[in-house]
Amino acid sequence: MEQLKIKMWLTVIVCVMVLIVAAGLGTVAIEASDIVGIFGHKIFGIELPKDLSANIASIFWTIRLPRAIAAFLVGGALAVTGTVMQSVLRNPLASSYTLGVSSGASLGVALMVIFGMTIPFLGKFSLPMIGFLFGLGTVLLAISMAMQLDKSLENQTIILIGMVLSLFVSSLLTILIVLSKEHLEQIIFWQMGSFSAIKWSHVFVLFVIIVPGILFLMYFAQELDIMTFGEEQAISVGIDMRRMKIVLITASALLTGTAVAFVGIIGFIDLIAPHVVRKIYGASHRIVVPMSALFGGAFMTLADLVSRTIISPSELPIGAVTTLIGAPFFAYVYFNRRSVTKKNA
Amino acid sequence: MKNLIKKYTMIVLIFMFILTACSSTTESVESESDKISRPTMDRAGNSIEIPEDVQRVISFAPSITQVIDEIGWLDKLVAVDSQSPNYVEAVDELPQFDMMTPDLEALAALEPDIMFVSGMSSAKGDNPFQQLIDLGVCVVTIPSSTSIEGVKEDNQFIADSLGQHEKGKQINEDMQERIDAIAAIGSTIEEEKTIMFEIAALPTIYSFGKNTFLHEMIELIGAKNVFENEEGWISVNEEAAISENPDVILTSVNYIEDAVGEILAREGWENMKAIQNQDVYYIDNGKSSLSNHHIVEALEEMAKLVYPEKYEELK
Repeated sequence: MEQLKIKMWLTVIVCVMVLIVAAGLGTVAIEASDIVGIFGHKIFGIELPKDLSANIASIFWTIRLPRAIAAFLVGGALAVTGTVMQSVLRNPLASSYTLGVSSGASLGVALMVIFGMTIPFLGKFSLPMIGFLFGLGTVLLAISMAMQLDKSLENQTIILIGMVLSLFVSSLLTILIVLSKEHLEQIIFWQMGSFSAIKWSHVFVLFVIIVPGILFLMYFAQELDIMTFGEEQAISVGIDMRRMKIVLITASALLTGTAVAFVGIIGFIDLIAPHVVRKIYGASHRIVVPMSALFGGAFMTLADLVSRTIISPSELPIGAVTTLIGAPFFAYVYFNRRSVTKKNA
Repeated sequence: MKNLIKKYTMIVLIFMFILTACSSTTESVESESDKISRPTMDRAGNSIEIPEDVQRVISFAPSITQVIDEIGWLDKLVAVDSQSPNYVEAVDELPQFDMMTPDLEALAALEPDIMFVSGMSSAKGDNPFQQLIDLGVCVVTIPSSTSIEGVKEDNQFIADSLGQHEKGKQINEDMQERIDAIAAIGSTIEEEKTIMFEIAALPTIYSFGKNTFLHEMIELIGAKNVFENEEGWISVNEEAAISENPDVILTSVNYIEDAVGEILAREGWENMKAIQNQDVYYIDNGKSSLSNHHIVEALEEMAKLVYPEKYEELK
């Protein structure tokens, strides 16, 4: 128990450090003293140091800082939903993406771009809103179809329906794109995913949805623990499996949908975070869920740091970076665990 | 690790080529300026055999269709790619084919004497027209050029392939004359303005460095490309864009409604010189992205927008 506490504190410290490094590094070098000056100016209204250009202040405060925080929030959300979905569906490869969040959101965004619609009063939030609604809608449709077919809502049914629906929606998207080539660029750019152009207004919305969302999922830690043992066990202790699944999957889809809506489709974190976190902290969801949030957040923030600095002034697509760093890391953790299990056996 | 990153960069770049219809460097082919005979090698270095009597022509790239239009040979066209009608209205009635997934049977049935394709159609690696070549169709590849000199060679090459050597020469002379007129003024400008030219907007800004005809064009009008130390087409990080603080921002983005307005309204950009002075302008996408003689029109547009007082006299 002591050891676990130390690990958790270390994780928190690492997360804070990652955020500081991500805020401190970028294409443009900004002195630490200047950063302090910018904070003073923005928070306490102290005048900016004379030799500090307004552009540098903008780069730090309007471009870099919201971007780093958004990466942390999105990474956390994706990792937590990955953990929850894997536990709920008892499948090590499941995630909200499996149930069609990404393909649904892509279809929504494509429709909007092609038909040039905007939602009144939402302005720049129109595109995220549509992405979110379509992403969530696809998952809900998958669940309701699964319920029609299978009253007890077996995991296999959910996954199968989810994947079929997801592929179906993707094919609609492909047809749309083929019929309307002039919008190809915008749709592809959106799909590639990016934290570029994320500002405080986006961070605000992300925060308001993601943080309560993660807390909500943490509340079900005990149910998640029991569900991983199997449906029969869960039912025997009085958990309404059907209702629980619907609540947890919907909440996860809501979180993933929000993330995808703002930054596009960024894969891999939802898949690897749960495995890595369980390996380090054990299986109890009371710890695994919050630690997934921190691990995912730190991982995504670092990946975004790499994506915006390694070939600056250019940028690498974030999806490529998460996989590039994540795949070897995952392989290391996975095979390491296997050798440990062998030894024990 | 480095190699992998390079690989990803390459993938992104290749992507950009597809998206912006700009393609890799071409090996320059000795232009046969003195002889009227047809070229025996295409612009990609493949041997070709152009029939003596060319009557039925297919163009598979808008940039090539525009050159054929300039030569006055539109009536010989029997089919075009689906993008061409957006740039040359007159070909709207002709059969149109998708550039990336052409229907080879239908193309063969049109019995073309010569078919011009850009590098874009072969972006997937293998030559998608091999079957047509096997059937005896003369398929001529012209990868989009990355320099003004290359663009001129392309013009001449197309003209020569159609047996219209003089016409090609004339197109290039007209082009050079207009370039010279700009260069004459451009070279006298001492206080060079710095320019950032966006070919894709936030969140994925793309611009370019050396070895692009757009870079040459910025230098010709007497200005400085802020990314002159970079090479080819590059994605641009927002921090870099702001810290470069260009005097003027140009954009050729036409996939969003108001590209200039979008730039002027960007959060965090408000203290940049170009934004404060409202020096943000749209440059026609067709004229600045297709590699043919029309780039001089974009060049003149750029000159007049960046230095209105210096190029006042220019017609």
